[in-house]
Amino acid sequence: MTSTDLVKESSADRAIRFERDALVFTNQLYAAALRYTKNPHDAKDLVQDTYMKAFSSFHQFEPGTNLKAWLYRVLTTTFINTYRKDQRRPQISGAEIEDWQLASAASHSSNLGKSAEVEALENLPDSDIKRALNEIPEEFRIAVYLADVEGFSYKEIAEIVGVPAGTVMSRLHRGRKQLRERLTEYAKDLGYSVKTSKSSGAEEIQESNREETP
Amino acid sequence: MNQFEVVPCNQILNSFVLLLEGNTDLPMVHTIEIHLSECPNCTAELAHEKKMHSLIQDVLRRSCCETAPDELHDSIFQQIHTQTAGAFTTEVLTEFTMTEISIEIDEFGTIEHREITIEHTEEIRYQTNYPNERDS
Repeated sequence: MTSTDLVKESSADRAIRFERDALVFTNQLYAAALRYTKNPHDAKDLVQDTYMKAFSSFHQFEPGTNLKAWLYRVLTTTFINTYRKDQRRPQISGAEIEDWQLASAASHSSNLGKSAEVEALENLPDSDIKRALNEIPEEFRIAVYLADVEGFSYKEIAEIVGVPAGTVMSRLHRGRKQLRERLTEYAKDLGYSVKTSKSSGAEEIQESNREETP
Repeated sequence: MNQFEVVPCNQILNSFVLLLEGNTDLPMVHTIEIHLSECPNCTAELAHEKKMHSLIQDVLRRSCCETAPDELHDSIFQQIHTQTAGAFTTEVLTEFTMTEISIEIDEFGTIEHREITIEHTEEIRYQTNYPNERDS
């Protein structure tokens, strides 16, 4: 379809095209909106608003480009402009530096720690996964969600969220790190790291808990 | 001494995000690769990081797959329908066109050629019929 065709497109035809191409993402957008807003009521409103905004500017969408990314951009912008404005919530540091390579020092973890970490994660219930995601700061949560659930590249996320690619890298790095720390914590609460260690030696159990020394 | 050899392990460990995101065109990635070729600890750590990364992706995808309630699907559909039903389509109809051509030659032999086109158009606005029965 060329741009001339679009000019001629009647609103009824546009609605049909919108329904056919855009509405298939309703479930996906709703799941994302649940992560953004953290509650089903706001998530429904957010998705509804997103679709209305997307529909009224659908003539600006260039056919053949990534419709899913375009819809996520509308969703994210709507969320930031509308829903977040309501809550006077402190943002993560205003001077967000691209410090992914300078973040707190990581260390090599033991092999026992590694296998325990893997097994613990595999056994965590869905509710804990969502709880961990809910607990990390919003900017991190959105970046991690878009990358690791939706599979967007960091460059696409930069477009969707409207921040530089380096900032996305930083948010992904820090967000994933925080998410993993929480997941490991929940797993420990459930007793996985102790249960999964093959040896009975207290020394090795201790080692499995020492995944990241500060 | 090569500058690449002095990069500490912790800096390498914190830069895995670059490799995970496939951002291989940065000079930093070259530094990491050189470090990895000489450091079995970091190589093992990277393998673990990659495994954890795909594992976390799997558990996230497994748990974040809610479906929208039917009422949401319905209300989005309804609202598009309402917006479209209220819209008008404008059509411009050309009813007739007439072209008047005149050629004048004056006493000096200068030829003057004129063309006048008269067109009558009408703009019609009508309410769009939204096709309710669509093939699904």
